[in-house]
Amino acid sequence: MHAIYELAGGFLVWAALVIFAGGTVIRMAWLAATARKKDAAVFHYFSFYYALRSILHWIVPFASRNMRLHPVMTAVTFIFHLCLIITPIFAAAHVILIAESWGGGWWYLPDAAADIMTLTVILGCVFFLIRRISKKDVRYLSTAGDYILLVIVAAPFLSGYWSYHQWSGFEIAGIVHMLSGELLLICIPFTRLFHMILFPFTRGYAGSEFGGMRSARDW
Amino acid sequence: MAALKSNILRLLVVFLVLAACAAAARAYVTIVEDSAFDDRQMRPQVSFEHNEHNEKAGIESCNTCHHFYENGEKRKNSDSVGMECSSCHYKAESGELELIRIYHKQCKSCHLQKEQGPVQCGQCHRKTGENP
Repeated sequence: MHAIYELAGGFLVWAALVIFAGGTVIRMAWLAATARKKDAAVFHYFSFYYALRSILHWIVPFASRNMRLHPVMTAVTFIFHLCLIITPIFAAAHVILIAESWGGGWWYLPDAAADIMTLTVILGCVFFLIRRISKKDVRYLSTAGDYILLVIVAAPFLSGYWSYHQWSGFEIAGIVHMLSGELLLICIPFTRLFHMILFPFTRGYAGSEFGGMRSARDW
Repeated sequence: MAALKSNILRLLVVFLVLAACAAAARAYVTIVEDSAFDDRQMRPQVSFEHNEHNEKAGIESCNTCHHFYENGEKRKNSDSVGMECSSCHYKAESGELELIRIYHKQCKSCHLQKEQGPVQCGQCHRKTGENP
């Protein structure tokens, strides 16, 4: 158990961070090169003003018409994504481990808050799973990869929740938590989880075209 | 006279027994405490059976854990028994994270090195209050 703990808490953390960062840079470079070759107009007509206007419009809950048309999905997705990003960065145990390994550290959440936020992420994953299965159009578009990805996202939160509450076998849940968190990080650049990085670019592209070219309002 | 002598002897025995009890009680620590933590701890306090731990770990010298440093060097023949970790390792301005860090380092680095003993959060900060 000690050997695997050290591996998961040492080498694999670095491996995951390097693959995440390296994969992100390589994929972005590849996407930029491909766009330059196949759709050079994207660069030519890119407008920072309309890109930022559109990004702002789409990160404010219920600002866009599409979000108002789907209020439940909008509420769930905003809360889900906020908890998904904030919890791992500001979980007390994570900050403490960073202080132990590298020194420093930053502000952290009270455990009770992180606990609720973790549960929120898990319930969000359940919501997305049910949505994927029950909504005809979404089910039609879903591939096996989409379901696997949902499990990959839920796994570190579920195992973290398990470990925190010290249910039976929590030591194994702790190891699973570390490994699944690393797997999630590694998956980001190579799967559709890449929307985490790509969102401002795709939104900025659409914003530039609709605002800068067609002089349309942002819906 | 003989009665007085034996009474003094009895008193001496009682005193010795009490002294031994007091000494044993001092060594018999069962929980990790430090006044610098106040009531700010979020996780359950760590139960720590001092004597049992040292027997299991084969620790004989107090300063294996109760180390004492002077000018950045560990003093072989000194120890910090009776001192709280925070008296050297904690300044109010460094924040509680520093105090947490040094406590974790003290236990965990040794456990990892020896590949024995708890290293995960829940293995020490038990919700049930059981021993790790």
